[in-house]
Amino acid sequence: MSARGWWPAFRRWLDERLGLEAVLGFMRHKTVPKSGHTVWMYTGSAILIFFFIQVVTGVILAFYYRPTLEEANASIARIITDVPLGWVVRSIHSWSATFMITFVFIHMVGIWLLKSYRKPRELTWMSGVLLLFCSLFFGFTGYLLPWDALSLSATKVGTDIPRTVPVVGDFFTKLLRGGEDVSGETLSRFFSIHVSVLPLALLAVLALHVFLIQRLGMSLPLEAEVKKKRLAEIPFWPNFIFREAMLWLVLFGVLLSVAVFLPPGLGGAADLRAPAPEGIKPEWYFLFLFQTLKIFPPKIWFLQGETVAVLCILAAVLFFFFIPLIDNKPASRKGKILTAVAWLIIVYALAMSAWSLAGPKPAAEAATHELAAGPRSAGERTGISIFLAWTWTTIVFLVFVLRAKVREVDKLNAIGYFRDKSGPADK
Amino acid sequence: MKLKTTLFSRRKFLNGLLAGGLGSLFASMLYPLLRSVIPPYKEPDEVRLPGADFDGMEPGEVRSFAWDIKPGFLKKNADGAFTAFVGVCTHLDCNVSYLPDQKKFFCACHDGWYDADGRNIAGPPPAPLRRLSVSVEGAEIVVRKEPPA
Repeated sequence: MSARGWWPAFRRWLDERLGLEAVLGFMRHKTVPKSGHTVWMYTGSAILIFFFIQVVTGVILAFYYRPTLEEANASIARIITDVPLGWVVRSIHSWSATFMITFVFIHMVGIWLLKSYRKPRELTWMSGVLLLFCSLFFGFTGYLLPWDALSLSATKVGTDIPRTVPVVGDFFTKLLRGGEDVSGETLSRFFSIHVSVLPLALLAVLALHVFLIQRLGMSLPLEAEVKKKRLAEIPFWPNFIFREAMLWLVLFGVLLSVAVFLPPGLGGAADLRAPAPEGIKPEWYFLFLFQTLKIFPPKIWFLQGETVAVLCILAAVLFFFFIPLIDNKPASRKGKILTAVAWLIIVYALAMSAWSLAGPKPAAEAATHELAAGPRSAGERTGISIFLAWTWTTIVFLVFVLRAKVREVDKLNAIGYFRDKSGPADK
Repeated sequence: MKLKTTLFSRRKFLNGLLAGGLGSLFASMLYPLLRSVIPPYKEPDEVRLPGADFDGMEPGEVRSFAWDIKPGFLKKNADGAFTAFVGVCTHLDCNVSYLPDQKKFFCACHDGWYDADGRNIAGPPPAPLRRLSVSVEGAEIVVRKEPPA
């Protein structure tokens, strides 16, 4: 057998067993509508990129992290000061979480406003909402793990919120905390949830989400669908993937740079009996909820204010989850009203977050970031600078190559090259 | 061909038994699972504090003590007796601090305020700070979990 001969033979061998051609043939024929809205379609895969980075950096952090009262804070201090490049790994993990949540929000807002959740994509939206909850829960559990004053207070508040729901709430608070109060039990179960429960849950829902997207194809813009307009389409592979890859590369470069230049510090170990530090704030994506809880009065009629607030939030969550079923005539008047509601909620969340940020500046911030992270020697600093320069040079180079490739495959697509070259699947 | 009896009743019955049996087996696993996920915790009946630590307190002065894993505050009243509070905000469980110059308890999480007697006076807290009963027994101050009479 010649050197070239073994690959087709190996592929045939694999295909007989796995049926890969069916999948590959499907991928070859998948198309993406090309319009002004195509840019929203890049946002989903960006989330995946950050999730992948979370998995890799998370595994490394878990090698060193110890989820106990005595060791949690110290083990992160060790990651920052002792583990080679540990501060970079932790910084990437922390920043990638922020980027991931940001793109989850962008992805969601885009789909919401374009109403891509309309029939038959209701389940795609609902699984997406579950993924959003997984992501937020990832953030919430991960925030406690450094075990400093800020993370302790945020967790006390966050885990007390279920309790305000009548009947079942108390059980959920106890389940989250591992008892009546936040303690070492809470820390170890948050770790377990963060590194085993949530990854499994997220991957399962993600599989469903991605399957639905492949099965149903990309949604057309509402106007195009109403006017029965035919949109130009480009093949998913390679025309769309090459476009997406440019974004992935740039995002990766930005993430790496931000992580190197703005690594998060670490506050001193939390004391269960110390008063909450002044100006505490949760992670930025919970700010609007935090502010909402703050402005509710203690009593509304005969009910506790917090119970009302939490029930309102629960109602909003249910509305959000079921919106494809509620907004079932997106092109009609009702659909327009619901779009207005979407805008209102976005404005509300932004305004509440801004209000919260404008509030008392955390005196805590300085105190809680006692241990600063950063390069530990001139050598490390130089090494990282060179590495970053190299990374960016490569990224810029690759983006140029990808642009050339995009032009090439677009021309090939225009002359029907990809249509003519059909795979064995459609014979 | 017409049968005298339907074949499906027996089939449905067996399917029902199978589904019902499996369902109840799973359902009965829920209880032990849910039981096992919450570890036991018992709040202490009492905490004994060395009286020497609280000697020489002025009337109205407040000092902190450890109520197991929670913060506690001991206040000397005008009549010389003590009042004890659990220093946990009744809104959403944050630990409060005592601000001696304002004679108030303050929760930094959501701007909750209590007066020196633990009454909720401003912000979101729905109830006063929890009180514990205090008695002086020899050289010790004993804080018990039942509310003061």
